[in-house]
Amino acid sequence: MTIMLILLFPLFLAILNIVFKSGRLSKLTLLLHPVVLLTGLTYIYSGYDHRQLEYFAVDSTNILFLFLLGAIYLPVSFASMVFFKKENIKEKEVVFYDLMMILFVFAMTGAILSTHLGMFWVFIELTTLASAPLIYFEKRKGSLEATWKYVFICSVSIALAFIGIIFFTLAGKNINSLFFADLVSKADELSPFWLKFAFPFILAGFGTKAGLAPMHAWLPDAHSEAPAPVSALLSGMLLNSAFLGIMRVDNVMTAAGLDSYSKPLLGLSGFLSIFVCAVYILKVKNYKRMLAYSSIENMGIIAIGFSLGKGGIFAAMLHLAGHSFAKTAFFLTSGNIVVLYGTKLIENVKGILVKNPKVGWTWIVSFLMITAIPPSPLFVSEFMIVFELINEEKYFQAVIFFLCVTIIIFGMGKVVIKLCSGEPSEHSTGEDITFIDILPQVVLIIILIIAGINMPDFFYALIQGVKI
Amino acid sequence: MKDFLLILFGLTMVYLALTSRYKAYIQMIGVQGLILFLLVISDYESLDLSSIIFLSFETLFFKALLIPFLLFTVLKKSPVTRDSGADIPQFYSIVVETMIFIAGFWIASWSSSLHTDIKPLFFGISIATILTALFIIVTRKRILTHVMGYMILENSIFLLSLSIASEMPFVVNLGVLLDIFIAVFVFGLFVVRIQSTFDDMTIDQLSNLRD
Repeated sequence: MTIMLILLFPLFLAILNIVFKSGRLSKLTLLLHPVVLLTGLTYIYSGYDHRQLEYFAVDSTNILFLFLLGAIYLPVSFASMVFFKKENIKEKEVVFYDLMMILFVFAMTGAILSTHLGMFWVFIELTTLASAPLIYFEKRKGSLEATWKYVFICSVSIALAFIGIIFFTLAGKNINSLFFADLVSKADELSPFWLKFAFPFILAGFGTKAGLAPMHAWLPDAHSEAPAPVSALLSGMLLNSAFLGIMRVDNVMTAAGLDSYSKPLLGLSGFLSIFVCAVYILKVKNYKRMLAYSSIENMGIIAIGFSLGKGGIFAAMLHLAGHSFAKTAFFLTSGNIVVLYGTKLIENVKGILVKNPKVGWTWIVSFLMITAIPPSPLFVSEFMIVFELINEEKYFQAVIFFLCVTIIIFGMGKVVIKLCSGEPSEHSTGEDITFIDILPQVVLIIILIIAGINMPDFFYALIQGVKI
Repeated sequence: MKDFLLILFGLTMVYLALTSRYKAYIQMIGVQGLILFLLVISDYESLDLSSIIFLSFETLFFKALLIPFLLFTVLKKSPVTRDSGADIPQFYSIVVETMIFIAGFWIASWSSSLHTDIKPLFFGISIATILTALFIIVTRKRILTHVMGYMILENSIFLLSLSIASEMPFVVNLGVLLDIFIAVFVFGLFVVRIQSTFDDMTIDQLSNLRD
């Protein structure tokens, strides 16, 4: 039962950490977890184990998300080691960090594997529970504020999603099941009236966690205050996991013939997201917040792609995968800059290229990747989305899309160049960054470039497999 | 009897939308818990025994006793006794609250004309109370009021989920999980910690992170 292994192994590791409380062991478990996750997934994907659990299953859709989770988690674990070393964190706190990280990934794994709407909801709730202590990890006033906002906004959103689930239950009174498969196969028995009631609540509820505007308020705060590896995991994977829920529910809406109702709502939220990002990115003062706004933008682009129906799904999934890699690399590099300069304020940082060319160049290449400059695979996905918009004669939307994306590239480019050029500022911690410290993000960027130039068949098949 | 309880639940919401004293908030949250307990008991015919025991425990012990008790403990440590900084004057609160109730009942009667299987009073009161709770969260300024607003939101969602308890007990149990989740979080971690970090708990102080 490989699925059971994938799901329960982190709990075993968590118990080990709770019992032994050893820093060395906890670091080992944090590295072991992604390895086991990826190995198990490869085993399932190769077709050796077809057995599924009732509430948890691997299908052609969530396998992409699971592989992404493993692929992001491994470099993030490495980067966490660097973080511990540089920040001189006490052993007790290292154990706590590793424990919460493992539980956070456990919650995301559970959510992605869920075949049941209620179960999905429970695990999304669990992600808040597990990630909040990680956001508060540095215990500053700012991180407390960010954590409070995160917990409160996400709690309200999870309550809204619950209202959506109640309406879903009312819609399916005859079916009396909340399994996604049942809901899709018996979609014609669902009451369209209650489905229409339910969808906005589900969209608002899970959309908050996915970072879609106008429910994005928690995101810049949480991402900027959390330690860099945590921000990377939040941005690279948590947003995707929540988006999967929206995709599953939208799939039910489509099966019930209500896609003309759900898709425009999702598209609207997507356009609002890129608009919000375009407005705020020009006046942002903290470079980690800038990355957070970029996450809102990219989730918006994914939502737009997905809302275009069959023509946009491939592009949306390609964008989702590319964004996870690029944003993880970008956030991890921002962590290196914090180590070098000891500040997150844009005005206090300059001259990275002189101070540490390795970090400087990683920062610039990450920027090129995230803003969809070729050979980034995001270029392909954004191109496909615009193409599809024009194909469907949505010229106005295509113009808005172009305009917002251009403003965002300009806003981010300005900051990236400002940080890199000139003589190094006086702000300095005296710490240095070696090649080992930037290795995780370099690997991620190399994978991205390869995927952008000549996509491996395996990667293509994963994205193509998403059938929703 | 059931209708009477539902109307009583609605009245607690009207009071909540108007008052600014924390004591009154907490008392009303407790009363709501008690009403929910009575509603569960009065529904004994359609529920099985284990659900009844579980839900009675949840409403009576958790909602009517434990949460008000914890809130009172927090209140005792806090120097302020009322939420002074609502964004809008009280008169408008009354107007908005009335509108919310009208909207709730309008939605209920509209949907029951299309679907005979829902109970308009149940549905209307639930919708109106959910909206009121969101209204309280949006307009009040103190963090403690936000927490209480959230408790009220949970109570109203629980009320809504009771309307489908007989068909889908699973969903109601999920709602119970939501309660436990927030209690652990809000009390265990944040109210205590935020109180020691920020002296006077208004959200004005929680606005250092912005662009």
